[in-house]
Amino acid sequence: MTAAMEAAAAGREQIDSSASTDVMIQMNGVNKWFGEFHVLKDINLTVHAKERIVICGPSGSGKSTLIRCLNRLEEHQEGDIIIDGVTLDSNLKNIDQVRSEVGMVFQSFNLFPHLSVLQNCTLAPIWVRKMPKSEAEEVAMEYLERVRIPEQAAKFPGQLSGGQQQRVAIARALCMSPRVMLFDEPTSALDPEMISEVLDTMVELASTGMTMLCVTHEMGFAKRVADRVIFMDGGEIIEQNTPHEFFDNPQSDRTKLFLSQIIGHG
Amino acid sequence: MSTVDTAKLGGGAPDRPPPIATVGVIGWLRTNLFGSVVDSILTIVSMVIIYYAFSALLDWAVFNAIWEAENRRECLNINKETGTSGACWAGVIIWFNAIIYGRYPYEEQWRINFAFIVLVLWLAPMWMPRVKEKLVYGLSAVVFYPFLGAALFAGGERGLFLQIMMSAAIVFFVYNCVNALVGLLSGNDLPDTLREKLGIQGKSDKAQRNILLAIAAVAFAVVFALTFTWTVPNVTWTKWGGLFLTLVISGIGITAALPGGIVLALGRRSQLPVIRVISVTFIEVFRSVPLITILFMATTMFPLFLPEGFTLNKLLQVIVAVCLFNACYMAEVVRAGLQAIPKGQYEAADAMGLGYWKMMGLVIMPQALKYMIPNIVGNFIGLLKDTTLVSIIGLFDVLNIIQSAISRDVPWRGLHKEPLFVGALIFFIICFAMSKYSQHLERKLSTDHR
Repeated sequence: MTAAMEAAAAGREQIDSSASTDVMIQMNGVNKWFGEFHVLKDINLTVHAKERIVICGPSGSGKSTLIRCLNRLEEHQEGDIIIDGVTLDSNLKNIDQVRSEVGMVFQSFNLFPHLSVLQNCTLAPIWVRKMPKSEAEEVAMEYLERVRIPEQAAKFPGQLSGGQQQRVAIARALCMSPRVMLFDEPTSALDPEMISEVLDTMVELASTGMTMLCVTHEMGFAKRVADRVIFMDGGEIIEQNTPHEFFDNPQSDRTKLFLSQIIGHG
Repeated sequence: MSTVDTAKLGGGAPDRPPPIATVGVIGWLRTNLFGSVVDSILTIVSMVIIYYAFSALLDWAVFNAIWEAENRRECLNINKETGTSGACWAGVIIWFNAIIYGRYPYEEQWRINFAFIVLVLWLAPMWMPRVKEKLVYGLSAVVFYPFLGAALFAGGERGLFLQIMMSAAIVFFVYNCVNALVGLLSGNDLPDTLREKLGIQGKSDKAQRNILLAIAAVAFAVVFALTFTWTVPNVTWTKWGGLFLTLVISGIGITAALPGGIVLALGRRSQLPVIRVISVTFIEVFRSVPLITILFMATTMFPLFLPEGFTLNKLLQVIVAVCLFNACYMAEVVRAGLQAIPKGQYEAADAMGLGYWKMMGLVIMPQALKYMIPNIVGNFIGLLKDTTLVSIIGLFDVLNIIQSAISRDVPWRGLHKEPLFVGALIFFIICFAMSKYSQHLERKLSTDHR
């Protein structure tokens, strides 16, 4: 366990109580098909503000598709998705509004290689929020300090290590002051020694009360930080529970099979 | 991070320079030309062949050449007398003005030279490292220079629109030159320097901008008034020819091809079916038909598509046809560049809420251009050479003059080799320069990505 995770575990009570009763994300009867393939089956999910959710499950279970539907990187064919009161449909204005409130961190970082780290972080605030350049740069430096790489601001993504790039990606998403952060397997493409620095950043972010949905295989992270763990398989939500209950008392057979396969992780 | 200086840990052998025979010129010669016995023999044999081939060429082109003569008969006589075969450059030298300017009247050719110098000065700051905002020079040239060029090359009466655009072009040109000079000398740009000199930095951003715009408007009005009555004699497009005509057609074609290609490529990739179908049809039609056919069709069929009473002269028809043709080829080049960008870049830009046009302009295109440069410049080089086809429909570009005009001229009838050699040399110089610039661009853009 990293130091930040132990500190988070110690301060568990404080972090717990920050989950509020406002509904941030509401998914009702969401179904999605890729052509003939039914990839999301009747998803019903409610996420409250400041809740931290970890979604886990075997490959191909639809976890990434689910969170990608939340910022319209994928379109759902049936059901409703309502984020912070805005219904996500084909209305472009709604989509743009949701995307500026929802930040996303990708498995392959997706930093813009032709821009410096600072320019990566200031691009969206300047062009979407119409912030003046100096203000955007101040905000960017603040977040770069929070992810502990302010000295890399003038470098280009190609000059950074994987862990540093992912932290820049997190800072870049935070610069838009999103209300929800989505993480799509953020540490899956990293070398083991870099995973901890990214997870530390995410734990610190969680402790500030950000609403987070995280698809990950890092069960240690789930145990320490998550308010709720959701297990998906074959496009359905099989089980969701608090981490304690989920890991110690799995209800469904499929969950038990999955947990037995990843035992020893974290 | 280790702060131990390993060199100070003691031990380690000192650095020695490499043996002479493995580096530098001698090293290169040894590995590449004389690496083994077989290599050495091949090198010597090749050198002998090259020597014989080139010495014959040099003799013909330089040592035995005839630089002054009245007509071809005289050249042949001189050759017969000296018993050698020398190039009759005299004919080309006498025709050189026509090769460059076509039948443009001699006393008006200063306008072409002047316009060319203006263009060079306009674009020159893009090569200077200290100058900021280089894109402005290129964009302002693309938008405004054609009007200045049209006013100078064609001359004659100017309509109001042309007068306005020409004045704007002159103002922009002067602004660019002063801006570049100021940038070189002080490292600032002109607006900032003006703000200092006028002492208006205290005012709000909006007030400062309005003052500078007012100065620009005054400058524009002055230029407009001064040039209002200034005219140059009209030179109809039928007299345009030679390298001048080639550069006009390919210059306009090149400038229009890239933006047109970008629009068509984005249209082809669009999700909207109508736009996609129109773009695909356009691209496939123009790519399936040879340029010469399109040129013929343009000169015969264009009048059918235009409204009543609105006619285009043959030169304009040709220019439009060349622009459309090249835009379609460029569209495929742009599409290839766009496809090379990983999907994750599109997704990251989408996830930020950038929107389609900002995503394309800020994230995708800057990365894609790096991949497109070899193909873009290759297309431009091809376009320059393809303009020689206009000779078939009766425009006197450089190849037409070289091939037909000279050898039909009575004193020089039958002179073929020398003008073609000069024509090839002219094209080689221009195309090689473009190729070298392309390599320079690639090097510059790839270092930015480190």
